[in-house]
Amino acid sequence: MSDRREGFLPIKTNTFDRVFISVVLFIAIGLLWMRFLEQALPLWGAAVLSALVGQWIIRKG
Amino acid sequence: MLAPTLFILFITGFVPFLYVLVVSFFDWNTFAQNPEPQFAGVNNFRRLVFDEAFLKSVGLTLKFTFFVLVSQLVIGFALAKLMMRNFPLKGLFRTVHTLPLMIAPIAVGATWRLMTVPGLGPIPHFMGKWFDISYVLSRFPDQAFATVVIMDIWHWTPLVTLTLLAGLSNVPEEPLEQARIDGAREWRIFWDITLPFLKPVLLTTIFIRLMDALRTVDEVWMLTGGGPGAATRFIGLYIWKIVFPKTDYGYGSAMSVLTLYMTIVLCWLLYVAMTGMKENKK
Repeated sequence: MSDRREGFLPIKTNTFDRVFISVVLFIAIGLLWMRFLEQALPLWGAAVLSALVGQWIIRKG
Repeated sequence: MLAPTLFILFITGFVPFLYVLVVSFFDWNTFAQNPEPQFAGVNNFRRLVFDEAFLKSVGLTLKFTFFVLVSQLVIGFALAKLMMRNFPLKGLFRTVHTLPLMIAPIAVGATWRLMTVPGLGPIPHFMGKWFDISYVLSRFPDQAFATVVIMDIWHWTPLVTLTLLAGLSNVPEEPLEQARIDGAREWRIFWDITLPFLKPVLLTTIFIRLMDALRTVDEVWMLTGGGPGAATRFIGLYIWKIVFPKTDYGYGSAMSVLTLYMTIVLCWLLYVAMTGMKENKK
């Protein structure tokens, strides 16, 4: 967990940091989706988008 | 050896949080037709993002936090620098200056309420007499907000002063003297020597004050009750109104969870910004 590495994020991160950032973004995307997009697109879209973003951050962040 | 402490922390800290998190996914109002908790999925959060009153409370709380944090850091640092020097009655000044810290927030609110009651308190009296300003907290939203900010600054600046004083006392003299001999200016010495030494203390102080400011309830509740209108209805007060008088536990829990989320994200962003992105990259 303590192996810090450089990715596309502006800070050096370890696995916990990247999981934390993914969870933060997961919640933010969900809330923003509910506010602005849910009338047109179901909330599953937010879950899929968050999963993709999370995976990208954990692997390349 | 750590196991009992971790167990107690888990029971007192993590379990209540998990409980609130679970309740936030339920529709639970003891005054509703069905007072039993019913699973509602993310409905409480959906309701939350469209709740204009809540969003306004969030904006107001952030505004309040910004004003009190900046003011307390500036005044606290100035007072800490002052207390590094020797002057007559320094001990007395330090004691008197620390007194507000010892007063319970609800008592602070009550004291300020008495001081701001028109016709009785000294503040409206002198504002009218000296500045010709009609000072009525229950009528003017800007006055109410400003008074709440000033009250919080008055109450919590001593904490900032004491922590920064502890930090300043630990700054070694040698590099400061060397810089002065080399002809460095005071602000340069502050920026390049004092501030890096103060960073850990500063970070801790900012975190403590940020978290406190985001969950301010009691003193504001006592002074203005969130009014006039919604001028001082911060998140904590709004949650209190939803959970206690309205007994809407599910919705109140969702608000609490979102407030915690906001606090964690703000602290983390601040931490990243203050420890420096470039430094982190090295």
